[in-house]
Amino acid sequence: MEALLNLAAGFEIAISPYNLLIAAVGVFLGVIIGVLPGLGGTSGVAILLPLTFTMPPTSAIVFLSCIYWGALFGGAITSILFNIPGEPWSVAVMFDGYPMARGGRAGQALALAFIPGFLAAFIAILLFTFFAPPLAEIALRFGPPETFAILLLAFSTFTGLGRGSPMKTIASAALGFILASVGLDIVTGQPRLTFDVIILLSGFSFITASIGAFGVGEILQSAEERLEFRGAQGKVGLRDLWLTVRQTGRCIGTFITGTVLGFWIGVLPGTGATPASFMAYGLAKQYSRHPEKFGSGAPEGIISTQSAAQSAGIGALLPMVTLGIPGSPTAAVMLGGLYIWGLTPGPALFVEQKDFVWGLIASMYIGNAMGVLLCLFLVPLFAAVLRVPAPILTPLIILLSAIGAYAVKNTTLDVWLLLVFGALGYIFKKLNYPLAPFVVALVLGDMTEEALRQSLIMSGGSLTIFFTRPIAAIGVAIALVLFFLPALAPLARRLLRSARPAAAPGS
Amino acid sequence: MKRAEVLVALGLLVVALVVLSQAIHLGPGWGEDGPRAGFFPFWLAVVLGVSSLWVLVQALRAPGGAGARPFFPVGGRRLVLTVFLPMAGAIALLEVVGFYIASLIYLVIYIRLTGRQGWPLTLAVGVLFPLITFFIFERWFLILLPKGLFGERLLPF
Repeated sequence: MEALLNLAAGFEIAISPYNLLIAAVGVFLGVIIGVLPGLGGTSGVAILLPLTFTMPPTSAIVFLSCIYWGALFGGAITSILFNIPGEPWSVAVMFDGYPMARGGRAGQALALAFIPGFLAAFIAILLFTFFAPPLAEIALRFGPPETFAILLLAFSTFTGLGRGSPMKTIASAALGFILASVGLDIVTGQPRLTFDVIILLSGFSFITASIGAFGVGEILQSAEERLEFRGAQGKVGLRDLWLTVRQTGRCIGTFITGTVLGFWIGVLPGTGATPASFMAYGLAKQYSRHPEKFGSGAPEGIISTQSAAQSAGIGALLPMVTLGIPGSPTAAVMLGGLYIWGLTPGPALFVEQKDFVWGLIASMYIGNAMGVLLCLFLVPLFAAVLRVPAPILTPLIILLSAIGAYAVKNTTLDVWLLLVFGALGYIFKKLNYPLAPFVVALVLGDMTEEALRQSLIMSGGSLTIFFTRPIAAIGVAIALVLFFLPALAPLARRLLRSARPAAAPGS
Repeated sequence: MKRAEVLVALGLLVVALVVLSQAIHLGPGWGEDGPRAGFFPFWLAVVLGVSSLWVLVQALRAPGGAGARPFFPVGGRRLVLTVFLPMAGAIALLEVVGFYIASLIYLVIYIRLTGRQGWPLTLAVGVLFPLITFFIFERWFLILLPKGLFGERLLPF
């Protein structure tokens, strides 16, 4: 009940004319970012983050989160109409969306993405509204060992659930942590790893790193791909809406599975909408009565992926507000924003910054409603963005990135660093080093180190403190299992195989 | 691809060694009242060192040669450099004449030469973008963009 009262207060903040305007602009920009294949949601949020420096924190988070919602919707437009993913999380929407659009049913394919996507987001926000306060209440009692255990858990999900090489994942996170520790030591105040360069005393900014690694890296990558947009025309008519509602009703099981799975994957630290959409697609295909139709325009293929992606986006913000840990790379950038606006992410927000938290939650409802309306009515307009030639878009995005990097500390050094991080991001992507652990480590570096050192001070230097406190012990235990999962899984498979040698004769 | 893998892993290994030496210098162990400043970097360097060494060994053992996928697709290196180098040039220019003039020059050259767009479109984008950003950032959001060494004198407003 208390949640409803708080939510009502949140709506009062979210529907102030200024915040409504901010939300609408955010969603609109978000859809455009989602539509553009060379510009991901994470880099979009990072590039536009400096615009929020002069906003009140609540409007700032409304702006950034609405960009995220818009991008979650927008990615599907490019995937369905052009067979090119607008966002990594809309790759799986392409599998069935594009065949359907090419078969002359583009409007229905779009409606099948937007409407179930919106409904999934709505359910996820309801879950958020009622789960977040109790979770924050538990988290309020956490001490440094518990915090460290949760952070360790966050990083272990990268190696345990990530798809790339675990050693490259670990290297990427370690590099992020190392860059985070450059500057003044948080406890003793000693300069570290600065090599007597004065400008390094203030450390590396995660904004520069994420705009560079994600934004500039993506632009360099799309430069060599030479994308060409030749695709279907799409407009959503009233008939499409009606067909979609009936279709969703028929696939209600797929829809619910996608939504719940997406929310859970979103909540897991570090894994966002992208893995959620792939997993939901796989599940929907596996349990479908006619899996052979998948890939040639099956409605379930679109419904499952888009509902999982959008619900994961909402879920990703849950650990951010309650624990101070981002649930996805995009949430990591927003979390960094919280520090800049002078807030400390974590459970204390629910006590000290009620307006902020509930304004954000209320704006999720509003932002997603705006997203679905904008997308349904303005598809032709957004698709037209793709007709702007790449040689015009590329320099514009680079200049906006430069503004973003400069505005962090008002130094041109950050603009130069953009080049360095851009090259790094490009090379990492080509060699399959995951970028998310790098940026998340850079954002959470200080917090992790502080939690670890305070825990060790509490215990007098003994690591047993992480195993004698129940919550910390559970967290660390799960984290260790996840860390070693990539090493253990093949071993277990081999053991199983040798136990049943007759199972695979002749192979 | 193989050479790139080896080079990146070696680079990470070098970073790890540099951080390791710095961390040892700062004190990687226990101080009077807790872990010293080098404690966290020390273990990070160890982790980075071990993981990059692993990647390095894997990369060296992988089959290379003519059949392997190249790092750049055919013609890719030139395409990537036509984005990267003008960007570096624009930043260098920004240091001298400031953001607004640099972005005008960068946009016009880039759109005209690599995009082969017509003059009207090129000039429209080149002039409008700095103007719009000026009003959005300098006036509305009060974010002052770099003026460079001479920008203040070239645009006295």
